Amino acid sequence: MKMTKIYEGSHQWIMFGRDEGKPANIIDTNQYVVRTANRCLLLDPGGAELFAPMMAAVLHHAPVDQITDLFASHQDPDVISSLGLWDQALTNAKLHAPAIWEGFLRHYSCESIEYVPIPDNGGTIKLDSVELQIIPAHYLHSPGNFHVYDPQAKILMTGDIGAAFEAPDAPVFVDNFSAHVEKMRHWHQRMMPSNQAKRVWIERVRNLDIDILAPQHGRMFKGDDVKRFLDWFDALQVGIAV
Amino acid sequence: MTNQTKSQFVAVASITSELSAVMVVAKEISLAAANAKAIAFRAGDKAKGFQPITDFINELAKETIELVTDINIHALVLYRLTVNEFQKTTAYNKLELAAKMAGDAVYANTMQEPLDNARLSMQDCQRQFKRDVSQLLGQLEAVMHHARAARVIAANSRIEASQAGEYLQSLQAVAESVDKAAHTIHDNVQRCRIALSIYRNN
Repeated sequence: MKMTKIYEGSHQWIMFGRDEGKPANIIDTNQYVVRTANRCLLLDPGGAELFAPMMAAVLHHAPVDQITDLFASHQDPDVISSLGLWDQALTNAKLHAPAIWEGFLRHYSCESIEYVPIPDNGGTIKLDSVELQIIPAHYLHSPGNFHVYDPQAKILMTGDIGAAFEAPDAPVFVDNFSAHVEKMRHWHQRMMPSNQAKRVWIERVRNLDIDILAPQHGRMFKGDDVKRFLDWFDALQVGIAV
Repeated sequence: MTNQTKSQFVAVASITSELSAVMVVAKEISLAAANAKAIAFRAGDKAKGFQPITDFINELAKETIELVTDINIHALVLYRLTVNEFQKTTAYNKLELAAKMAGDAVYANTMQEPLDNARLSMQDCQRQFKRDVSQLLGQLEAVMHHARAARVIAANSRIEASQAGEYLQSLQAVAESVDKAAHTIHDNVQRCRIALSIYRNN
């Protein structure tokens, strides 16, 4: 599992991905960890297949008892089907996930982890002195979907928005936006169902000060590529399968 | 999922299926008892010896139905336990793998406690599964006992029926149906016992 520190300040952001041991027939995912003084938040901790390498990788940054929070942007298996395994490992943790998916996600088993339902209008996650904002992104692509924004680190974790599928050894940041576009186009057109939802989200996100846009698949965007991505996505017609 | 786990799921799930057939047959015995009682009543003195037998048959059927209902509840608990055991075992294996993969990570040693807890939890589940299997096997044995008793009653019924004059054929038919039902119950329950018994001492 490749680990890349993407922010170092009063707290840290670490990106985990490009797992070489991953079975070839499952989708590659990025996991993000926010590490504060005494706590650790796992953003979209991944599928069941990824649990062991992910847990092993996190242990380079935090002890098990300081893994206190999990966040699931939506209900997909590549996002959170590892929940039942985290549930066996963590004794003092909370899962922040969309309220509408609670009854669904509990199918993965969530007994010792406390389910903290996120209402439709979002909310916050407080980790020591760090406060993260939970940004609504409904229908992008899931009907109950959230992203996480860190105003201090200026990072927006965007789940499936900005996703692309890459070779296992691809760099973690976009280095040629024009070339990258073709890796994203069909995914966004096919997976994002609503132009209206897309417009609302772009309007909301343009008001945020973002240095890094961090999707759950593929490369991250930084600097001017964040604006390039938002402009490109704004102009894209989505929901093409009907 | 290992082959043994798959077989365990199938064995536990098949109990409910086998027992639903037993339930149908037990209800048939109950009907046969009611039918026999009516015939014996009509036959009067000619079937005097048959009358108390019908009460036995009816009681036996009722007890079998109650036992099977109870076993079905236990079988459902056992199925949930099988799922639970599977989840705990999977979790333990994954945690063990994570601990190995963590290697020289700074906090690798913090995995020990969750790993120990997962192992204990898995072993608890395995012990509980074995206990419940033994209990269920005991209950199934009780149903087998009923089936054997029903066959004895069926044999007695045949003897009594032979003295019932013109009612001989009707009462023999009752005895036959009780005997056949007892066979079916015996065979189905025996299949459940064979399927489960391998897990008692595993």
